[in-house]
Amino acid sequence: MAYVATRGGERAIEQAERLFRQDLGQIDLDRVQSIRRSLPYLVDRVMGEASLYDEDIAALALAQTGGELSEAVLVLRAWRTTQPRIAIAEPLLQEQLLTQRRISAAFKDIPGGQILGPTLDYSHRVLATDVLEGRPYDPPAVEAAETPAPARQPSLADWQRVQGLVAPAVDNSVPLDEIPDLTREPLLFPASRAHRLQGLARAETGGVLALGYAAMRGYGNAHPTVNELRLAEAEIVVRHPSGTAFSAGRIRVSQAEVTSKEKGGYLELGFAATFGWNEVKVIAAATLDLNSAEAPVGSAVHEEFYLYHTESVEASGFCIHFKLPHYVTFQSILDAMRDAKAKKAAMSASNVTTAPQEEPAL
Amino acid sequence: MSLAALTRPWAATSYGFLDASAKREIRRKMIKAIAVPGCQMPYASREVPMARGWGTGGLQVTLTLVNPRSVVKVIDQGADDGVNAASIRRFVSRVSGAAETWDTLAATIVQSRHRVPEEVMHEDQVLVLQVPNPEPLRGVEPNISIARQMHADADYGKLWLTLYEQIVRKGRIMQGAAYPSLVNGRHVMTPSPIPRWDVPKLHMARHLTFLSAGREKRLFAVPPHTRVEPLVFSDRPYLVEDHAELVCRRSGISGYFMNELPQDDGTSAFEVSDSNLGIKAIRHAEGEAVEIGATWYRNGEMSQ
Repeated sequence: MAYVATRGGERAIEQAERLFRQDLGQIDLDRVQSIRRSLPYLVDRVMGEASLYDEDIAALALAQTGGELSEAVLVLRAWRTTQPRIAIAEPLLQEQLLTQRRISAAFKDIPGGQILGPTLDYSHRVLATDVLEGRPYDPPAVEAAETPAPARQPSLADWQRVQGLVAPAVDNSVPLDEIPDLTREPLLFPASRAHRLQGLARAETGGVLALGYAAMRGYGNAHPTVNELRLAEAEIVVRHPSGTAFSAGRIRVSQAEVTSKEKGGYLELGFAATFGWNEVKVIAAATLDLNSAEAPVGSAVHEEFYLYHTESVEASGFCIHFKLPHYVTFQSILDAMRDAKAKKAAMSASNVTTAPQEEPAL
Repeated sequence: MSLAALTRPWAATSYGFLDASAKREIRRKMIKAIAVPGCQMPYASREVPMARGWGTGGLQVTLTLVNPRSVVKVIDQGADDGVNAASIRRFVSRVSGAAETWDTLAATIVQSRHRVPEEVMHEDQVLVLQVPNPEPLRGVEPNISIARQMHADADYGKLWLTLYEQIVRKGRIMQGAAYPSLVNGRHVMTPSPIPRWDVPKLHMARHLTFLSAGREKRLFAVPPHTRVEPLVFSDRPYLVEDHAELVCRRSGISGYFMNELPQDDGTSAFEVSDSNLGIKAIRHAEGEAVEIGATWYRNGEMSQ
């Protein structure tokens, strides 16, 4: 029934999807595993934005969407929706993290030491074009230090608390099963700190970077100094209904703590953490957190603004919805516009003197 | 008795896709929304296998309402066979076993993007409108915390002012679709971007309407027999689109909201926007026994 002029064209639609999938070709376990192995930071980014930690499933989402990041996150989150929340892990404590990289820009040396770990920070970013000419790039082997760095590192903020530099920790702990969960509750404002940090943890990396960068560049009121940045693996400890605590495996996490100027005799701290290793995101997010208290309401670095506008699934979905037909609303606008023009024309034709020539100053 | 006998067989997803805790939350919010007509209720809004802004709010309400005896109609801009409408309808029916229909009269749940069907809906039907921007104050107050306070205070002065300014500047209110409307004399809502033509259909309607915004995580309701009054000044009556005289070029019917189709010669042709109504009219003209429901407008005038 070719009734509606702009009808769906179901066959065309189906073929369009096939075209997309045909370009990607067959997706098999090999491809998924190779994505997981060769693009660990991309896998981490997608897991963080999806609030779902599973490297195989994240790699599958990337394979299936050809690396279209917002689509991959959507696929993962939609799958996550169908999964029950069966347990809540014990909190991760900084000093328990199996830390592989831990640096501070606030002090030259810190208790536990600076551990550079894996990073490109000090590298020359030179493209290895030899690879395209058939000469594979083999990274030089790492030379182990004489004494390995301790796997666990103390918390710098704890040391600062003892020194009286940072305000004493306020115990905000709640029973495990009462921890607020942004994926099961609406975000309300002013947001609870739990919701703010959860929102930042799953925010779109580029969006958080843009707004965090805006805060750093002077649109915010807090200049971040990296107090402590960590890339670590964390043991996920859950409790069996019988009471036994056991490890459900390890996940990669990153966290940043940034500090600013003194306020009320103490350094202020901003914090962010996310699934996977994603330093840019946690530094930018911690800067937004640090700036939150002083951000003017309605500014782009205020929590309401950044939490709403860095939500990747909502933002990308809304953006692409403008491809859907809008002819009903557009018709309504046209109708009002034509009628207003006709009224104006009729008015100026009938009585030029009484028609307002200028808009009144209000 | 074995443990297996006490549990349900494993299934990849719950009935109706959403899990029980999501449905329970949405049901509670739906009941609250009915209790306070037009007031926006925040809800968690889960991710579903569709992009945000493509009807995920409506979909979650529909998935919460649906049961195996439901008959579901989904329309997009009036059409049942639009890409997104067809996709949502197929998804709902696949995860719930509900029947699908294009016929407004046969449906128990009508999910709609941007139109209220032209055939009058009844007590046993629910209309689910997809809402992109649930906040009618967004244009005058982008900060949602302040906007919520304004709703609490019934402080709609800024909204009235913009309407007044439009009259001063343009000689009429220029608001296209999504005309702000006072519900039950208390809360101003946006009736989703339905054209002005459709807003009077919600006033004292026999059916229940849910309006749900998945991306913005708000849902609200217009219960049956509830006042829905577009904001107008006493000397400036509410104007619906000037479509009463337009004739559908295919079905020959008039008195309905029309889609305008620009022609090569610079003129316009029109087709009725409620596409299944057009199909019914054509079949009726061809002598088929087709039941066409009563309509809201008679000769372009609201019949209530």
